[in-house]
Amino acid sequence: MTLLEVNNLTVRFYTAEGVVTAVDDLSFTIDRGEKFGIVGESGAGKSVSALSVLRLIENPGRIESGEILLDGENLLEMSDKEIRKVRGNRVSMIFQDAQTALNPVYTVGEQISEPIRHHLDYSESEAKERAIELLDTVGIPDPQTRYSDYPHEFSGGMQQRAVIAMALSCDPDLLIADEPTTALDVMTEAKILNELDRLAEEFDTAVQLITHDLGVIAEVCDHVMVMYAGQPVETASVDDLFYDPKHPYTVGLMASIPRIGAGDTRLQTIPGVMPDLIDVPTGCTFHPRCPYAEDVCTQKEPGLVDPATGTEVGADADRGASCLAYTGDLANDLTFDVTVGDAGQSVGGESDD
Amino acid sequence: MRRIYESDALERDNEDTFTPNERDREHKPQLFRSLNASAWSDRLLHHGVRCRAVSVRIETPRTEFEQGEVIPFRVWMKNSLPIPVTIRTRSPVLWSWFVDDYEEASKVSLREPPEEPAKIRFDRGQRVRFEKRWNQMFRIDEDEWRPAQPGEYTLRAAINVDSKKERNLSDETTIRIV
Repeated sequence: MTLLEVNNLTVRFYTAEGVVTAVDDLSFTIDRGEKFGIVGESGAGKSVSALSVLRLIENPGRIESGEILLDGENLLEMSDKEIRKVRGNRVSMIFQDAQTALNPVYTVGEQISEPIRHHLDYSESEAKERAIELLDTVGIPDPQTRYSDYPHEFSGGMQQRAVIAMALSCDPDLLIADEPTTALDVMTEAKILNELDRLAEEFDTAVQLITHDLGVIAEVCDHVMVMYAGQPVETASVDDLFYDPKHPYTVGLMASIPRIGAGDTRLQTIPGVMPDLIDVPTGCTFHPRCPYAEDVCTQKEPGLVDPATGTEVGADADRGASCLAYTGDLANDLTFDVTVGDAGQSVGGESDD
Repeated sequence: MRRIYESDALERDNEDTFTPNERDREHKPQLFRSLNASAWSDRLLHHGVRCRAVSVRIETPRTEFEQGEVIPFRVWMKNSLPIPVTIRTRSPVLWSWFVDDYEEASKVSLREPPEEPAKIRFDRGQRVRFEKRWNQMFRIDEDEWRPAQPGEYTLRAAINVDSKKERNLSDETTIRIV
């Protein structure tokens, strides 16, 4: 059952340098209890798309078109008062940098219990009790004492857990996790991902996980959308994406994952950088970096199509890729292949044979 | 809940050079820099005068380019007054560039910016430079582009104001594709 439906969302920032189209005609759906991943390089529009769901885009940014339906209600048409009831209650967010997300002058406990009092009408003592329970759930040792600590008294991992506790405080229907583990060491990252997974199962919460780490996606998500330059370039289930990627950008991302023992002397990269979103390349935005690009790629922008049939697909499609190879516009075929290692470890690679 | 101003965490001392002074709420700072020069300039200078104070220039490294070559160009904007000035624009799109009057070389409407005025602000004597490029492509549809044919083209940059006020808020140059 669909919980969140984003249709044709376009977000622009009006700057002195020019107009930045951070999210361009983006559509996707998230079902109840689904773990949906959004992956891409920095500047792909992942965070802006997440912030748009909560209408947290600040000036000079504007949500210019589209609709965001939560259980059928359009969040973009709600009044400020109505959207405040949704934030932190039905939809909550784990922000990218926990240290910045926490207010340094309030105790951690107070920051967790505030939304409980505000949204669930708990009394002060009940909210405190619930906050201590949540701190315990996310693995903060001695939560009774830690409740009164200020954020600077917490380590980075503990701050991240506190932000997760805050996000889970009102049992949200949708939890948006914007790179929740980027600033953390791998041990803490693993613990937090496990907790996220376990808590999502426990509370039957849908998770929208934003990351640039494909390993995290493989670990946590059911369905994935790959974004590039503000647009979706591929959408698929996790298995399909890893075993049968369809877009050259996805293949490039997977080939860039360092593999211990692979014997490579250099790290694989995708040549070039993400384009400036004020001045995106004509045609397919990925063409300047694509090893399979032909002249037509500079003149025609591909839509999201079913790679098997080449027909345009909608927001709720199981499989879609935006490459002219699937609409019959390219003279040559995409020649990458994916091999899976003996130990069950996937080894994505591309070849120009 | 404990608030930061109740915490006595900040030590104040008028004698020690390395600690903050005691708060003095009786006197407001009197330095000239406390004046909001932009706000005063907005109130005292007519918008027409402010528009005349700012100039726009567009330049390319040369006038002839091979077909298919990317054409880089620079847009300069300069405030010649010794005070900050603000210019009201028609929409949040503060300025734009055009090829033969097609905004950003697009023959279809690129976007529909909200119909609300915005402001472009220049510090006193400020010169701003924007680096742009045209890859000799015209957008002919939502998802289709066509290369420009050899010939002469006019590159123009303009601050987004009413055409009456545009005068020196726009500049153009001619290039030739061979």
